[in-house]
Amino acid sequence: MSEPHPRRAAVTGIGVVAPNGTSTDTFWKSTREGISVLDRVTRAGCAHLPLRVAGEVRDFDPQSAVEERYLVQTDRFTHFAMAAADQALDDARLGRPDTDAAPFSVGVVTAAGSGGGEFGQRELQQLWDKGSRFVGPYQSIAWFYAASTGQISIRYGFKGPCGVIASDEAGGLDALAHAARAVRRGTDVMVAGATEAPLAPYSMVCQLGYEELSTVEDPERAYRPFTASACGFVPAEGGAMLVVEAETSARERGAPVRATLAGHAATFTGASRWTQSREGLAEAVRGALHEAACAPEEIDVVFADALGVPEADRAEALAIADALGTHGRRVPVTAPKTAVGRGYSAAPVLDVAAAVLAMEHGLIPPTPNVFDVCHDLDLVTTRARAAELHTALVLSRGLMGSNSALVLRLGATDAS
Amino acid sequence: MSDRITVEELAELMKKAAGVTVAPEELQQQYDSGFDALGIDSLGLLGIVGELENRYGTPMPTDAEKSKTPRQFLELVNSALLAGA
Repeated sequence: MSEPHPRRAAVTGIGVVAPNGTSTDTFWKSTREGISVLDRVTRAGCAHLPLRVAGEVRDFDPQSAVEERYLVQTDRFTHFAMAAADQALDDARLGRPDTDAAPFSVGVVTAAGSGGGEFGQRELQQLWDKGSRFVGPYQSIAWFYAASTGQISIRYGFKGPCGVIASDEAGGLDALAHAARAVRRGTDVMVAGATEAPLAPYSMVCQLGYEELSTVEDPERAYRPFTASACGFVPAEGGAMLVVEAETSARERGAPVRATLAGHAATFTGASRWTQSREGLAEAVRGALHEAACAPEEIDVVFADALGVPEADRAEALAIADALGTHGRRVPVTAPKTAVGRGYSAAPVLDVAAAVLAMEHGLIPPTPNVFDVCHDLDLVTTRARAAELHTALVLSRGLMGSNSALVLRLGATDAS
Repeated sequence: MSDRITVEELAELMKKAAGVTVAPEELQQQYDSGFDALGIDSLGLLGIVGELENRYGTPMPTDAEKSKTPRQFLELVNSALLAGA
């Protein structure tokens, strides 16, 4: 059933805490210039692990980002989420008086894959070193996937619909789609996105079993998707939060619409079944295009999942061709995440932030550390490419088999 | 360590267990205010109770974690400490 005037979901605010920048501006400048910040892991307790290279967020001071109580009560991934939400709300020009005036019209949805591993490790160490009486009560919530959603809603007093998406890396895109649906159903504002903090010893050990993980020691060679030397992916921490708002609401309060979330679809093809992900990803793209009423030729740029595993890279290149036809071989494709690593469910949200910024600046950021592409793709490498961009497609796949695609359009739709 | 838990000690525990800083003098002034108004939620109070039990090596009354105000809380835990002494 289509309504006469569907409520469109617009992006009116962006907040980023990434390895290559802890503000949207620095993230974009670094992304645009293709500066890789992948480096040797420096976090305490990780030096002996075979995972050598990651994208660490080093320019982040939790003490200045969040109040003392959240330092005690929440994990690093929630600190990232709060800092990014602050930026996004500020960017959207939504202050506390605005949201206090209508608390039920603001909701929160986040995606998470790792949860609060660092907090959990600290409390479990208390358990084994001293006993159960020394485990703090905040352990019951701080590790949990839903912690960031809950704490953001409490911190700002938001009382609208809240949720958490646990659907793998692709959950980052699914969270934005969930926010868009909430907006269509009548909520004016959703604070939506994903952040991760998987670079603490316990969380790192959890990842060692992933056969897709790169254990290459040279930061420049550790993550090279779409090349013959692809050797897996490098993990990252950080993420992004967006303000997803009804276009009508943004217009009423005079807030600029940066982009609209035009279409999304998700599929599932099974854990590490990368050859099969071709069909699943292509189907997700078709579904997203359908919802966006978008022809394949309208896609001006693709932000690839870019796992860095040869079989998965091949499947993605073929999926793009399957879903976009001959346009799939011409459309520029990029994977700026090779500069920072893959922050699990946060990775595609950072790509969405980069896609909006790319459309606004008419500039496709490059794919650092990638030179000789061995697939039939027009991958933007080495330096940014100027292009008129109206519509972007962001792709994401999870290690456990989720595939998602999101279509974004620049700016506001024409007032009708 | 005194045999009675003071407002000073409660303020220190609030900071340690819940990350909420309230000066002892201010806590004294807000002796009958709700813990919620001070920024202490139920998990925070539970953490404070756990700290006290570890510190004094004695169980606290089960109602301690349900106290609404600092006065209620200190009266409960101090009566338990006196009874145990």
